Formats: sequence, C-alpha cells, structure tokens
Amino acid sequence: MTQMRYREALNAALREELARDERVVLMGEDIGVFGGAFKVTDGLLEEFGERRVRDTPISENTIVGVGVGAAMTGLRPVVELMTINFALLAFDQIVNHAAHIHYMFGGQARVPLVVRMPQGAGHQLGPTHSHCLEALFLHVPGLLVAVPATAADAKGLLKSAIRDENPVIFIEHESLYGVRGEVPDDDEYLVGFGQARVAREGSDVTLVGISRMALTAERAAETLAAEHGVQAEVIDPRTLRPLDLDTILASVRKTNHCVIVEEGWPHGGVGANLAALIGEQAFDHLDAPVQRVTGADVPMPYSKPLEDLAYPHAPQIVAAVLATLNRSSTSAATAGGA
Amino acid sequence: MGEIVMPRLSDTMEEGTILRWLKADGEQVARGEELIEIETDKATMIYESDQAGALQIVADAGATLAVGEVIARVGVTAGDSDEGPASGGPASERARAQTPVASSTLERVAASQEQPNGADAAAGERIKASPLARRIAGESGIDLRGLTGSGPGGRIVKADVLAPAADSPSAAAPGAARAEAAAAPARAGAAPQPGTDAQSATTAKGETTTVELSRTQQTIARRMAESKATIPEFTLLIDVDMEECVRLRVELKQISRSDTDKAPTYNDMVVKAAALALREHPTANGSYRDGRLQLHSRVNVGVAVAAENALVVPTVFDADEKSLGEIARETHTLADRVRAGTITPPELGGGTFTVSNLGMYGVRSFTAIINPPQAGILSVGALSPRAVVREGQVAARNTLTLTLACDHRILYGAEAAEFLARIRELLERPSALTL
Repeated sequence: MTQMRYREALNAALREELARDERVVLMGEDIGVFGGAFKVTDGLLEEFGERRVRDTPISENTIVGVGVGAAMTGLRPVVELMTINFALLAFDQIVNHAAHIHYMFGGQARVPLVVRMPQGAGHQLGPTHSHCLEALFLHVPGLLVAVPATAADAKGLLKSAIRDENPVIFIEHESLYGVRGEVPDDDEYLVGFGQARVAREGSDVTLVGISRMALTAERAAETLAAEHGVQAEVIDPRTLRPLDLDTILASVRKTNHCVIVEEGWPHGGVGANLAALIGEQAFDHLDAPVQRVTGADVPMPYSKPLEDLAYPHAPQIVAAVLATLNRSSTSAATAGGA
Repeated sequence: MGEIVMPRLSDTMEEGTILRWLKADGEQVARGEELIEIETDKATMIYESDQAGALQIVADAGATLAVGEVIARVGVTAGDSDEGPASGGPASERARAQTPVASSTLERVAASQEQPNGADAAAGERIKASPLARRIAGESGIDLRGLTGSGPGGRIVKADVLAPAADSPSAAAPGAARAEAAAAPARAGAAPQPGTDAQSATTAKGETTTVELSRTQQTIARRMAESKATIPEFTLLIDVDMEECVRLRVELKQISRSDTDKAPTYNDMVVKAAALALREHPTANGSYRDGRLQLHSRVNVGVAVAAENALVVPTVFDADEKSLGEIARETHTLADRVRAGTITPPELGGGTFTVSNLGMYGVRSFTAIINPPQAGILSVGALSPRAVVREGQVAARNTLTLTLACDHRILYGAEAAEFLARIRELLERPSALTL
C-alpha cells in the first residue's frame, strides 16, 4: 500500500497501462507538455513520447471522434476532456458513435475507448465549468459509466476501463484530485465494474453516495453515529452502469430506509433512477419513501456562498436521514429543492 | 369514541347473534381483549376488541344484528371526550410534538399530506402506512385501523406496528392473540339455550314445544331448501365390490400400532378414491354460480359429520394429494373437533365436493342433498356381505352402494357415470389409493 493522491493514482494507472500495452495512447488538450490541466498526465509525455501521448487542439468532438476511430482500428485510446461540461461538445461522437457502433455493426466493430473528465463544483468556476452530469451518460445504453471517489478506486477502475472492450465514460472529480488515500502497489490491481463498495456498515439507514458524495455521506454517517446514535450504511456504487443494485437492495432490506446523495440536479438524476429501482424491487421493505439529497435545481452560481448552498454537504445529509427516520423536524433535504 | 360493529366472521355470515358480553357495560377494555361471544351461521366465536377504552354496550345479549351494525362503542368517558381519542401514548405525543416547518421540500411534502390518522379515521378511508408496516401488519394479522401513526403526516411505520406487541402488558402480541381467538373454543352447532327460547302450547297434537333453531340450524335449513328448490338433480347408484378394500384394511390394521396409528376406515378410502376421481373429472369438482361453471384447482372434500342437533361438514383440503393415512388422521381429528365444538370456520369452508356416510347405521343407500354451489354429493351406505352373481355363481361378497347426486346444470349423466365408475374402479383395486 502507498499513500497517494487521487491524481497520482490516476497517473499511476495510466503509466502502468501505457507500459503494459503498446496499443494504449493518450490524447487531449494540454495533456502532454503541460502535463494536464489537473496534472493527471504529468511526466507521461517524457516517459512514453509524442506518439503515445498527444496534445490536441481545442476540438472536443474531434478529440473523441479520433478516439472512436482509433479504438475501432485496434488501439486502446484514453482521451481526456478538460471538464465534463465540454463533453457536451462531443456528445455526437459519444452518443451517436462510441455508444452505438458496436450495435449498429452487429458486433463486428468495437470501441474500447476511455473518455476521462472531471466534474464538480467548489472552485467558483460558474455554470459552464462546475456541473455534475453523470446522469446524462448513465442515460445512454452502450456506455459504461465509472464515478470513482477514492484514490484506490480511481486507479483500479481506470485500469479496468482501459482493458474493457466497451466505451467507458470515466468521471473524475475536481475536488478529489488532491485527496490522499491508500492504494495497492500491485500493478495488476483492478476494480471490477458493477461492484459497489460498502464504505461503512450500519443497520438504520442506507446512504448511497455518488462520486464525491460517497465521501460526504461517510462524514455524515460519522456525525449520525456520534451525535444521534444512528448507524448508517454507506454504499459507493463506484460504477453507475453496470450498477451493483444487489448490494444496495440487500442493504435497504436490512435498514428499511434509504437516502441517496448526489451532486447533480434532482430531475432525471441518478438518485431519481435509483429510487425508482428500489421502489420497484424493495417496495415491501421500505418504511419510508426513498429520500434524495441532490444539488440545487439551478445553474451553478459563481458566488462562493451561493455555490456552497447549491451542492450537498454533510449537515444536509444528516438532516435528511433524521427526517427519513422521523427523528427530527428541522431539515433541508435538498440543497435547493426538487 | 370508536364504534364496534357486528363483525363478518365467515364468508357467508350475514347476521350474528350476541350470545353474551364478556365485559360489563362501562368496564375498561384493552385492544385484543376478549369482548363478546357471537354466534354466526357456522359457529360460535369469541371476538376481541380492536379498540381500547371504556365499553358502552349498544346491543344486548340475545340480539341478532346484521353485519356492520353497531353493537358497542369503546372510548373515553363523556367527561374526557374533549381531549380526543384515548389511544394516546408516546407515539401520538411524538406525532403531535412535530411542528411542521415548511422550510424544505421534505417538510412541504409532509405538510401537504398532513391528515389525521389512526382511531378516528373513518371506516373505508385509506390508511396511510409504509409498505413495510403494511407487510408486517398483514403477516401478523394486525389491523392497521387500530394503530396511531407516528410518521410524517400520521403515517403508520414499522415501529407503530411493532409497538403494541411490546407495550401492552395485558394482551399478548396482537398477532398471537388473534391466532388464539381463531383457535379458541367455537362451538359449532351449539344447542339452543334450553328454556330460554322454548315455548309450549297444548293442541290436538298434545303439548307442542316450539324450539328456536340455532343459527347453524337456520343455515342448514336455508341452504337445504335452496338446494332442493333450485338444483335440477339426478342420482346414480353403483354397487362396489369391497373385497380388496376389506383385505387392505385388515392388513393395515395388523401393521398399525394400535391407538396412535389408526387404520383408515372404508369412508377414508371412499374419500381418497373420490378425490382422485375428482382430479380426473374437473366438472364434478366444480361449482355452479350465477349461471356459470367454476372450475377449481384444488380438490377439497367435505366430510359430513353429525354433531348435536346439527350437521357439520369439515373439509379435507387437497385430499387428492394426501395419502390415505393422512386423510384418516385428518378426518378423525376433524370429527373429534366437531363433536367437541372446537371446529373453526376456516375448517368448515372451501369444500369443492362432499362425501356423506350413514353406513354405520346400517343404511344400505340414501341420497344426500347437494351442498350448493357444489356439483354433486356422494352418499355412502353400509358395507355388508351380499349375494352377488360372479362368473355364473352366486357368491357372498362384501359390497357397498354409492349414490351420486348431481346438479344437471353443470354435471351431466355420462360424465357423472364415468366419474362414479372411476371411484368404483379405484375402490375395487385399492392399491391405487396408496399411491
């Protein structure tokens, strides 16, 4: 085990896979000479050369399109988009091509492409740079969606993503790049897709945290245990598609209460979808409606105090859990309100 | 103050007679406490209070009321009535202590759903309860109407369903108490209360005593008249050679360990044979209802048992799937329970066909009356050695006469004959019954 930052874990995963398989190539804006906008690709140009690590113009649809073509013709490209907001420029390549080519050609062509990008608020980057859009990608059949919250998962999931035969949307979080965690040294350390992580065991309520919210939910769980005697079970799904629904349902059947925490918008969100699945498959085990704590239903504000109000923090999760358990009447369940 | 109405204690119950109150007027009753003895069309049952408070009796013992009519009120005394339902406790205090603060989505939703719940919810109104609470209540036989919800907007949650079981020292868990009530002494076919209803008058016939029919007897009277008045009935008779059955029974008697393991009776063999034949002839196992033929997936054979002043027909469920030994043990137990008056309505319902036997009185053959809506009834006469002609020779053979009465609206002659012939075939080769 080595203590390393989330960004270093990603860097290690890329380095190991570049070394392991010569078909792996990296493309993206400022990933070479500059080492990446968030320094995830730092040092890789020097180590693997210009043919393997390529800087591109500001041209997201083209970057992904080149990645799709390269993947179809035998390479295993990992392309970086500077933030998830810019992925919208590449939506045609991601949805109409990367996700569907395998189906359209009856399985004759594959797109083993990884599209990496960070999301999330907290740095006063305003409404065009701060959103959490995992729900958009979850919506599309044909795409795998990973949302690692820890350094170890970042490394293990990225290595699995690169080795997968399907297009993977790999969503990192801006606020997590500097967070340290224990990461296994084994260069064959892989985290399989569709395997949730039970971050904390508990008997009273199931807390499902998406992306960074897995960590926020864990902090809320500590407060719930210390101040309210509530034992929350915290589950980090780690991948949204495939989703490890079994682990979540098993937990809900045990606790009879569920609160889903996500940073994205409430309508059509990951939590909305998951709440429907739980309602369909564990209805008779619910003692209260599935509760969601989500980002506010607004474009992300620039103002620091407003930005803080627009995405969930631990106190809001604590309040939502207590309300679900009928333990308190003062709560602000969603940051903004759905 | 909540009302207690005449409960529907069986599928066919339309009215009930109050035999006696087990609590006095004005006495405090707890939820789940035995309250009243009610005679239904089928049995006498003890009914428990589903509410707590002071009892105010509305209908006295002896009264006969339709299902749904008020028989009593339970609740706080008049002086306390301003303070609302007495079924308080920590749960409702908690609910009241919740001050709605419409500051968030959750509260707004909760506030918009705010409605009173629990004891004062009108009958028929949907009760708010979590899916889990509903499931637990359903599995435990707890009536949600008697509970106070502590969840948002008065929703009944798991804790509210489990609370009465843990809190109430006087009553056991409601589920258990209810189960006991179902198994509690229910005197089927209870004799009319001697003296109370009997009236005497002297006429040319001498002294005539008029006896009121018990409710069970009234039911029998009504259903038998209905049967004879409405069913176009025909009957088939068949003689069954019982030599092999006699041999089988002698053998089983030798094998069985006396008291605990009684050998099956000839009637048990007839029940088993009929059940197997019913499985092959679904129409004979069917019902005529509202101009339609209903076919049933289960073969449940009612076995008529004479009780004091009544005829009661307990049911052997899934008789086609039970072994001969199981049927023997079950009919034996059921008959004992009928005679002891401990049979319960669920054990008397659900039959798809009936077997009636008067053979023990030496009756050679008879035609029992069809129990509607069943398609037929099989009457079993006495087993006796009779002179029969076999291969041109007169021989003494143990013989039994079976009579099948059929409702021609659904069960026709040819099929009925095939059905009856199949029963004979099975009885004449009884190894088939042990399969």
